[in-house]
Amino acid sequence: MDFFAVNGKRPIRLCEETRKFAFDSLNHKYGLETWSTPAVSMDDYKGFQNLSPLQKYDAVIERISKTAPIRICDGEKISGSATLGMAISHNIPADFGGKPVFSSSISHLTIDFETVIKKGVNHIQKQAEDALKKYKGTEKEPFIQSCIHCLQCMKMWHERYLEQLKNKPEYRANYENLKNVPFEPAKNFYEAVQSIWFTFAFVRLCGNWPGIGRIDWLLGDYLEKDLADGMLTLDEAREILAHFFIKGCEWVKGGNYGSGDAQHYQNILLAGVDENGKEVTNTVTYLVLDILEELGISDFPTTVRINKNTDKKLLKRIAEVIRYGGGVVAVYNEDLIIDSLTDYGYELKEARKFANDGCWEIQIPGKTFFTYIPFDSLQILQQRTFDNYGTKVCFADFESLYDAFVNDLRSEVEEIIATRNASRFIYTAVPTKEWKWAPDMPCTVVSLFEQGCIEKGHSYLEGGPVYNVASPHIGGLPDVVNSLYAIKKLVFDERKVSFAEMMRLLKNNWEDNETLRQYALNKYSYFGNDNDEVDIIAKNIISDFSDICDNLESGYKTPAGISTFGRQLDWSELRMATPYGKKAHNVLAGNFSPTPGTDKEGATAIIKSYCKADLKRTVSGAALDIKLLPSSVNGENGVEAISSLIKGFVTLGGHFMQLDIADTGLLKKAQKHPEEYQNLSVRVSGWNARFVTLNREWQNMIIAQTGSDL
Amino acid sequence: MIISDIQRFCMHDGPGVRTTVFFKGCPLRCKWCHNPETQSYQKELLFYKEKCIGCGICKACDKETCIVCGACAKNCPTGAREVAGRECTARELYDQIQKDVAFYGKKGGVTFSGGECMTQIEPLAEVLKMCKEKGIHTVVDTAGYVPFGNFEKVMPYTDLFLYDIKLFNPEKHQKYTGVSNKLILENLKKLFSVGVKIWVRIPIIPSVNDNIDEMRKIKEFLDECGTPEKIELLPYHPMGESKSQALGKTPHLFEIPDSEKMKSLKEIFE
Ligand code: SF4
Ligand code: SF4
Repeated sequence: MDFFAVNGKRPIRLCEETRKFAFDSLNHKYGLETWSTPAVSMDDYKGFQNLSPLQKYDAVIERISKTAPIRICDGEKISGSATLGMAISHNIPADFGGKPVFSSSISHLTIDFETVIKKGVNHIQKQAEDALKKYKGTEKEPFIQSCIHCLQCMKMWHERYLEQLKNKPEYRANYENLKNVPFEPAKNFYEAVQSIWFTFAFVRLCGNWPGIGRIDWLLGDYLEKDLADGMLTLDEAREILAHFFIKGCEWVKGGNYGSGDAQHYQNILLAGVDENGKEVTNTVTYLVLDILEELGISDFPTTVRINKNTDKKLLKRIAEVIRYGGGVVAVYNEDLIIDSLTDYGYELKEARKFANDGCWEIQIPGKTFFTYIPFDSLQILQQRTFDNYGTKVCFADFESLYDAFVNDLRSEVEEIIATRNASRFIYTAVPTKEWKWAPDMPCTVVSLFEQGCIEKGHSYLEGGPVYNVASPHIGGLPDVVNSLYAIKKLVFDERKVSFAEMMRLLKNNWEDNETLRQYALNKYSYFGNDNDEVDIIAKNIISDFSDICDNLESGYKTPAGISTFGRQLDWSELRMATPYGKKAHNVLAGNFSPTPGTDKEGATAIIKSYCKADLKRTVSGAALDIKLLPSSVNGENGVEAISSLIKGFVTLGGHFMQLDIADTGLLKKAQKHPEEYQNLSVRVSGWNARFVTLNREWQNMIIAQTGSDL
Repeated sequence: MIISDIQRFCMHDGPGVRTTVFFKGCPLRCKWCHNPETQSYQKELLFYKEKCIGCGICKACDKETCIVCGACAKNCPTGAREVAGRECTARELYDQIQKDVAFYGKKGGVTFSGGECMTQIEPLAEVLKMCKEKGIHTVVDTAGYVPFGNFEKVMPYTDLFLYDIKLFNPEKHQKYTGVSNKLILENLKKLFSVGVKIWVRIPIIPSVNDNIDEMRKIKEFLDECGTPEKIELLPYHPMGESKSQALGKTPHLFEIPDSEKMKSLKEIFE
């Protein structure tokens, strides 16, 4: 029973039974079972069609809670399972007349587990009852009634588990542990883990994909106390926590589908400071790393908050875990992110609580509605600024070209946000910009665990949370930078070609001047090689883009972000040839990482180029993906290499970085013999996926981004 | 001084993350050399046939008449033509080295390699001193075939020497590297006696030195003269092949030692 590693052999700390549980889960045992019971049917529900959306929702949640299969896995230490398959594909698992009742569900948020474990779900119940008194007879009453109803449903589901466990003597401990939580505050570590898990499982059972957030911050005190009181040993604690991670693989079901099977946004954060500035790192932090190291579970994309004072021991541990490959652990530069949030207007205490949405976009957990709006800046440059490489465009110098691009960027972002506003808000007084949120899809279950919703009497999608964020994410940025730089050099500085001729060549997809194309491709050093002349273009665009975002008029906060999340694949169809020598329809840069093939100076140069921009301005985040070859991180020096990269990244002002260990040879083998590489996971673009579950296009893209090991 | 290349994020040339500077020119001619473009002290033209698209822009001269002016390489759009070797000052070199200061930490830093960096001793000492003054950890990677006085010149600014021993057998050494190993071994002995930090590195070349007897002899020699902080056995790899061809030389290829072999040879030093 080996757990796959790209590099080296994983250590063994967990008991055989737990390892077996992990092995089965990772090899689809529970995922396939879940897939086989896709949804509850509402067909026999009288008058279902005539119900309002919210009434339908309430009926569906009740039916799910009453009839979803109960699953108790052999030897499991914590209970609760999201056993309906439609949830795996991001939907509320309920059918009517053979069709899904709803079209989608909620993701990209980290819910409020702090309230759940510290105050208990009954506290939320009380809040809802208070709100009902306040909103009785108003238009907010149905939502509050729905909250109370969904909490009752959760209780019914809880009862069903207790019932089952009660009758099984070997699950006595599970039963005792589940009796109290999540409705009452957790009294110890074991209960706290169960409390988070049960709540998480319920929210997922109802179709949603929440993140976990800062698990060591949530659980640390409980564990330290239990260890001090002698209630629990460290090994016992590790086993309990391992079951949490293993149960998180209950949706792993194999098969090929686009962006892979390991991405249900179950993100976790570790380490960093608490709201008072005190370092959080504790025993739980290290236990999580132990578990990830041993089992190589990639389903919980984990990011560690690193600051200037991060303990060397922790850095070393992270490096050790990263070295096995799989891209499971990424890093945030906490100092920069907290500054970025406070500069943006968040209170310092709030800023220090930051977690993320599902990949790496920054949010204040448990109180943020989050969505991001991706767009392709390369298409803006090609289609707007260059008028599809038309004959009428002409720029006399680089500055006027740059300004024209920024203007086009501004109008595009403004248009996107205006369209979005129009669909999400009802304007009650247009000239004075008064508005209220437009009604949206019901989402009560998630709203229960987002601060603000019950208080305000609005759901998660209708402005309920304390913060509401819609972040414009610029994609294709390195490609725009390289394009502008190539024109600067070829047309304006070296005068190798006239601007008009350049447009003509690009329109023709470089067909009639391969020599110049090769020259453009090979003779300049583009973004990612620590070349100030090109990196400054990236820096300027980021600064201008952030200004644009900060000045948008909208009902949301609209912080800037940089991402592609793999959209470079879809976008490739619409992209024309680029001035830096890439032909039309090539798959280009991912996130804020160099375009594949243009980075020639290695990882340190990439980090330096990336860090030159003021990344405090990209409040939502700017992701850098770095792939390292197994040979460069072998041996003792490999750990040193990884921690040095992380330290440099923090010192130089990076934001978010994922380091993956991979080589093309290995990935190509896995493409050929998927059966042998079921658990080879790769960091895709903010999340992890088992490589063999990606479709061909995705696999090829990952291979192109990876260096070759000579 | 003349160098051939600077590589960043090197993980195999000393401790931590390092920038490695390859000096051009070497008194040895090891048959397995993986940096054949660093042997000559002159600039050389490399031509990578497989990259050439036959555009004709280079208007290159015949090999015989080439004076390595570099004009063809400058214009070649694909990088098929490339000049190995550029003159630079200690200052210029230092500027490149300090680019990765943020990543060096306490362990990492710069490694001067080659070629034989110790044969361009004055500029080497100068740049070493500059690095040392800025607190950058310094490593000198040498084959040791230089007057001992050269070591004395760089010692004050060198934190660690990577010292190659290729063969103990003198005849074989002469045959495979073109020079005697007498000076090399003597220098190493003296270097130990002054108490500097040394890692001994032995390239493992199948059919040349991949036998227990050779390794034992090296071990006995080391036991006699001092204790290196580390002994590294580096398996032969054929990475010099394409560069060798690009230089118009015929590469001498060896087998790649398997990991079992490497393990058994390593054990001799444990
Ligand atoms: S380097 Fe100069 S002399 Fe040599 S082939 Fe090229 S152009 Fe001719
Ligand atoms: S310029 Fe380069 S690509 Fe063109 S013919 Fe000469 S060597 Fe070949």
